[in-house]
Amino acid sequence: MKIITKLITWSQMKSPWIIHFNSGACNGCDIEILDALTPKYDLERFGVLLKGTPRHADVLLVSGSVSRQIHKRLVRIYEQMPNPKFVVAIGACACSGGVFDGCYSTLGGVDKAIPVSAYIPGCPAKPEAIIDGMIKLLASLKE
Amino acid sequence: MTLDSVLSPLFFILVFPGFFFLSVYGTFLEWVDRKCYALMQNRIGPPIYQPVADFIKLLAKETIIPKHCDTALFKTLPFFAMASVITAMLLVPVWPQALFPFQGDLVVIIYLLTIPTMTFFLAGWSSSSPFATIGAVRVLTQLFAYEVPLMLALLGPAILAGSWNITEISKFMFQNPLLLIVQIPGFLIAVITLQGKLERLPFDIPHGETEIVGGAFTEYSGGLLAFFNLAIDMEMVVGAALINAVFLGGSMGADGILAIVVFLGKTTFIVLLLSVLKAIMARIRIEQMINFCWKILAPLSLIQIAMNIALKIRIG
Repeated sequence: MKIITKLITWSQMKSPWIIHFNSGACNGCDIEILDALTPKYDLERFGVLLKGTPRHADVLLVSGSVSRQIHKRLVRIYEQMPNPKFVVAIGACACSGGVFDGCYSTLGGVDKAIPVSAYIPGCPAKPEAIIDGMIKLLASLKE
Repeated sequence: MTLDSVLSPLFFILVFPGFFFLSVYGTFLEWVDRKCYALMQNRIGPPIYQPVADFIKLLAKETIIPKHCDTALFKTLPFFAMASVITAMLLVPVWPQALFPFQGDLVVIIYLLTIPTMTFFLAGWSSSSPFATIGAVRVLTQLFAYEVPLMLALLGPAILAGSWNITEISKFMFQNPLLLIVQIPGFLIAVITLQGKLERLPFDIPHGETEIVGGAFTEYSGGLLAFFNLAIDMEMVVGAALINAVFLGGSMGADGILAIVVFLGKTTFIVLLLSVLKAIMARIRIEQMINFCWKILAPLSLIQIAMNIALKIRIG
């Protein structure tokens, strides 16, 4: 049994498929996420693939503070993902609400809506920071 | 029925060249394809264990079955796709001879390779999601575009050899290697349409991520998706093996282990061709694809056939 659990953890570490969701960002972090996927940074060497549908994905990358309008949609996308699933908040707004914190139309950080596994700060977060955060999240699966 | 007579068909189906061999070699070829694709884009690319890690991870994931779909159909389709591909493999010669050769197995294998495409269509149709339905319709539309040129292209060597038996065709092509030069247009047409059959890049219209999310597989998750991916990998092996046998002379007269080595080398070469095609082209629209297949590829393959008939009369 132990070997099977180890094998599953290994496979989860080696093959995180991501889906990208903009919950009200200014597009800065989105461009940086796309940057991280370009040949220059080559996330595929870690097994990362960008998927269009939440059903295929393991990691939900959320950028931007959660606006009240998108709140329901974000929760719905999260619920459509099969377990085990992880959420990574990218950028200052996604981590805490950033400059939009306390604004009448926003809820604040992503963790106000759904459970978050990793926070990547920055305005916008650099591609290197995104890759580093992803690797640290995957390394934490071992424990 | 003795144990011996049961055991060897079971060995063929489950180990070589059936399920086990196809899954191992299919995952290897997927890695070759992705690595080549990455190298052509100036990237490092995934490590060799990547497809295996993907498969195990998907198996370990939760499988969500949509509320409004046809549950039994939804659950059994990936296995249908896989079973038909494995059956097709039993007809392709890995050794000098196919396991169960008979007259007309070229037609049967084309029929068997159409079943996975039909399961993709049913998968999209039965999952009752708008994206999946559009993907499913595109799968069928695309099927009608590439199936005719593929069939016509595979007919060329069959006419020359005067046989519908893949084993005999591959023997004939090996004995007359000069005829291969005449077959180059047919070979290219077969490679391009195989790309359409596998729904890879110039023709990945049925699951264009930027338009219709995941296409026919939008609602699939976990183990079922893993087996669909495995079935597509296996289809790539069988398609490459079919083109190898029909156009390139199969195992080239080698026997035993050597024949398998030749088989592996040549199918890997065809997959490399496929991934080069994937890397140098962008996705086209569905009506462009149909125009291309019906107005360019189909007439070209007809010309090829006419040429072959003329050649056949000449050599007698």
